[in-house]
Amino acid sequence: MSLWRYEARRAGWPACLAAPASLLATLALAAGSAGFGAPPPSVHGVLLSGVEALVPLAAAMAAVTVVSVDRCRELQLALPARYPGTLARRLGIVAGSGAALAVLLTAVLRLTGSWTGPRSALASVLVWASPLLGLTGLALLVAVLGRSVVLATTTVAVVWLCEQLFAPVLAATAWSRPFFLFLTSRAGVADGWGTNRAVLAACGVLFIATALLLLRRPERLLTEEEA
Amino acid sequence: MDIKISGLRRRFGRVEALCGVDLEVPGGMFGLLGTNGAGKTTLMRILAGVLAPTGGRVTVGGHDLATRAGRLAVRRRLGYLPQDLGLYPDLTTREFLDYIGLLKGLDDDAARRRQIGELLDMVGLADVAGRRLKGFSGGMRRRVGIAQALLGDPALVVVDEPTAGLDPEERIRFRTLLAHIAGHRTVLLSTHIVEDVAQTCQEAAVMAAGRVVFTGPVTGIVDRARGVTWEIVTQGPPPAAGVVVSAVGGPDGTRYRVVSPVRPDPAAVPVQPSLEEGYVALMREAAVPG
Amino acid sequence: MRSCLSAVCRYEFRMQIRKRSLWISTIGLAALITVAQGDRGPRHLPAGTDAAVVMGSWALLFSMLLPIGFGMVLADRLVRDHRIGIASLLAGLPARTGALVAGKYAGSVAATAVPGLLVLCVAAAGEFVHRGDPALFGWAFAAFAVVLLPGLAFVAAFALVCPLVISAPLFRVLFAGYWFWGNMLGPDYLPSLTGTLLTPIGDYPASWLIGERALYAGEPGWLSFLRPEPGGGAALLSVALLIALAALPLAFAGPLTARRTSS
Repeated sequence: MSLWRYEARRAGWPACLAAPASLLATLALAAGSAGFGAPPPSVHGVLLSGVEALVPLAAAMAAVTVVSVDRCRELQLALPARYPGTLARRLGIVAGSGAALAVLLTAVLRLTGSWTGPRSALASVLVWASPLLGLTGLALLVAVLGRSVVLATTTVAVVWLCEQLFAPVLAATAWSRPFFLFLTSRAGVADGWGTNRAVLAACGVLFIATALLLLRRPERLLTEEEA
Repeated sequence: MDIKISGLRRRFGRVEALCGVDLEVPGGMFGLLGTNGAGKTTLMRILAGVLAPTGGRVTVGGHDLATRAGRLAVRRRLGYLPQDLGLYPDLTTREFLDYIGLLKGLDDDAARRRQIGELLDMVGLADVAGRRLKGFSGGMRRRVGIAQALLGDPALVVVDEPTAGLDPEERIRFRTLLAHIAGHRTVLLSTHIVEDVAQTCQEAAVMAAGRVVFTGPVTGIVDRARGVTWEIVTQGPPPAAGVVVSAVGGPDGTRYRVVSPVRPDPAAVPVQPSLEEGYVALMREAAVPG
Repeated sequence: MRSCLSAVCRYEFRMQIRKRSLWISTIGLAALITVAQGDRGPRHLPAGTDAAVVMGSWALLFSMLLPIGFGMVLADRLVRDHRIGIASLLAGLPARTGALVAGKYAGSVAATAVPGLLVLCVAAAGEFVHRGDPALFGWAFAAFAVVLLPGLAFVAAFALVCPLVISAPLFRVLFAGYWFWGNMLGPDYLPSLTGTLLTPIGDYPASWLIGERALYAGEPGWLSFLRPEPGGGAALLSVALLIALAALPLAFAGPLTARRTSS
């Protein structure tokens, strides 16, 4: 237990605060929207967008930080505890706190009748969990492959932004629909929603597994400044 | 815990940091000398399992570092103090050691805490055990570093440039500490400070340009400068031939000590060399092509 | 003072321009935009379209995504000085903090401007092959100066200074979210800065070059006093406001850097 406590501190406050900050931003946007006179369905749409789009974005950026920043990396790599395992604990803490908050917000929205996502409780989890896995997996893979925070964060930001910008096209095209991150908030729980969630989650798992495989060569983690 | 290295190579892009290193390290304190960029840190990182070699073979205590099982077995018995030791500034000294202890697999809380207490006493940091690492001086950071390296009572301790940048008092203190811990362990001390090796090691190796150019007793390094070390007192310019190792000004002129295969000046007299002069002579030999 | 400023600017420029990530992100983003622009993009403008319209459209397209990469690249610039231990050295120099910050800022803007201008020139060359109008190159420079550059100056200022307060990782999350909210999220959907004079994407200058509303410039919405009709005056006002806003974080950069160095 104490090891997990240390890893929570090692993940760093920006990483741990990312998910709560994204949810606060969602609530602020929804409040602004309501204050601006938007009808309840629009406000509900903002809340759903926040859960589906902002939480995964924050988790992915936090994951890049967790993987890329460690003052004691060289020492860590020389310890008998496998460093990918140490990173996995830190990522688990970041993802776990984000997931707990997302579940909490989803539950509150369902109880207050502000939820416009799928009705089933399990499916509600997939609203944020699938894009979170997909985007976080991509972030980790690029961070490990490129050994650059800039490259990883830019990739995440651009994928996220492009999917927002080209949402109508991506949601309507057959080949891109399964990979579209924001299907629930942009197209609703329609045909292919389940496939989309499954594909996103599978991609995320695949990316994470590949990143872990690459981490078997420990020097992959040493950045240009450290090597 | 003996170390056997044969034909070890490591390449970074176009740069070959290690080009065929052969070295055997027996138990006890062993010095690894070399100029900056000689490949010492790369070798230390390979021994610590941080870097994978491009070619060659390394065994530590009979475990082959090329295999995953071998690397893990070595890590379980290794204490490593990297050259650029980063510390987590928001942890206290005790917390940092506790965290590293947990990662080293010291799961028995009471035993781990007892060992941390002993190590803090040994490195003289017991008074600041509850202080955050942020703001620690260079010497204190190195002592925290050696304390974490000794957690779990490792059979092999690899320390990379541990005294660079420390004041003389702190350096002596650190050297004494290293000599003390070498009692029943192999301690591999990598440094470019000749004095550190002179004061702590009986056996040493010297690296230059990615190769080992000397292995043997420290006195063997001194022998390399025998017959090629000269002293001259002159009011004129420094001798043109050889390498000036020291120059001390005085009322009669400047007293130079020079390492040179030929007498640098008719007035120069041969003198007993020091370890530093032996090291300079070795480096000169290594620099001569062929 | 002046020599110090120019020296810092010159070497900052050299350091940034040599960053692999700057070029990789520029090339990647430019390629992505070119491929993904769709049927309404400048590649598909009819033959005979005015060169100003063509290059104004390209500049707007590039300014949608390129500053994201530049913002990410610059986000750890001042923080990095502390991480690698150079901040104390700089603090010990006789140079004034203001000159150091201004030099780093100018050098950073210049370094991000070079790849930005280059991709616009490449776009102009591509269009020249089809359209054969040499004026495309002149308008590439003009479009760069009024659409892309003010946005880069704005982004560079915030990307350099904000991470001193909220850390680089948090800045990157907020920056990505802000870029969408403040530039491309329709003002009818949520109260946002999209379509105002404060839009760093260059909506107003692009609308002026194109001769019609490029994206959302001037559309009714939140902060209506910042949403005049697009035109030459509004475009210039937008550029001036963006540059003035960029000066705001820079004013705090000196004290923030000094506080970090002394802590």
